[in-house]
Amino acid sequence: MDLFSNRVMVALKKELDAGALRQRVIANNIANVNTPAFKKSTVVFESLLKKALERKPVEMVTTDPRHFSGKPLLAGLTPEVNLIRTTSMRTDGNNVDIDEEMANLAANSMQYQAAVKELADRYSGLSYVISGGRR
Amino acid sequence: MGGFFSAFAISASGLTAERMRLDLISNNIANMNTTGRPNDPANPPYRRRIPVFAQILEQAEDTGTSRPLFRGAGVRVTRVLEDNNPPRLVYDPTHPHADEKGYVAYPNINIVNEMVNMITATRAYEANVTALNAAKEMALKALEIGRG
Repeated sequence: MDLFSNRVMVALKKELDAGALRQRVIANNIANVNTPAFKKSTVVFESLLKKALERKPVEMVTTDPRHFSGKPLLAGLTPEVNLIRTTSMRTDGNNVDIDEEMANLAANSMQYQAAVKELADRYSGLSYVISGGRR
Repeated sequence: MGGFFSAFAISASGLTAERMRLDLISNNIANMNTTGRPNDPANPPYRRRIPVFAQILEQAEDTGTSRPLFRGAGVRVTRVLEDNNPPRLVYDPTHPHADEKGYVAYPNINIVNEMVNMITATRAYEANVTALNAAKEMALKALEIGRG
C-alpha cells in the first residue's frame, strides 16, 4: 500500500509541478507583451496526464536496477512547453494575446489551488486515520 | 525546477522594464520644450528616447542528462535608442536658441504618441502585477499542504 505515492497523489503532485511551470510561462508571456518579435509559449500537460492515467500498468521483469521497470508512465511524466511560432498579433511579430494570457493566468491559478486543496485534504485524511480519529 | 521564485523574478523583470519605459516617456514629455539651435551640434534639442525590449533566456545548465523545460526568464531593456527624426523648427526670433534665420529647434515629440505609449506601458505594468499576485497566491496556498 502506497500511502504517499499512489496514483492520485502522484498525479496531483505532477499537476502542481505543471501549474508552477505554467505560471512561469504565462508570466514570461505577459512580461514580454511589448517585446518585438517575441513568440509566446504554452504548456501541454492535461492531455499527457490523461494518456498516462489511461495506460495500463504493465509489470515488466527487471534484471538490473538500471532497467525501466514498466511502472506507470505517470511517475516520469513531465509537461511540455511549446513555442507558438506561426501566429502574429502585431506588425512587429509579437504574438502575445494579453486577454488570453490573463484568462489562462486566472484559470491556472484556480486549477493549482484546487489541486492543492485536494492534496491537503488527502494528507489530513491520512493524519486523521493515524491519530485514530482523535484530533 | 525553478519554482515560484523564478515566476516572481519573471514578473518583476516585466515590472522593471515597463517602469523604465514609463520613466523614459515621462522624461520625453517633460522635455517636450527643451529647445536647441538648429544645425548646431553644441546646442542640440532634446531627442526622444525609446527603450528596446528583449527576452531574457536562461543559460542552459550543463547537467548533461536533462535540459530545462523552459528557458524564458522575463524581459529586460537592452538599449535606449534616441529618435533620429529631424527636430521641429519653430519661428521665434526672440528666443535665445534662434539661429540667424530666426528658427528654434524643438524636439520631435508628439504628445499623443507619448500618451498612448504611456497607457500601453501602464496596462502592461498592471498585467505584470496581476501575474505576480497570482503567483503569490499560489505559493501561499501551497504552504497550506499538510497543515492539519
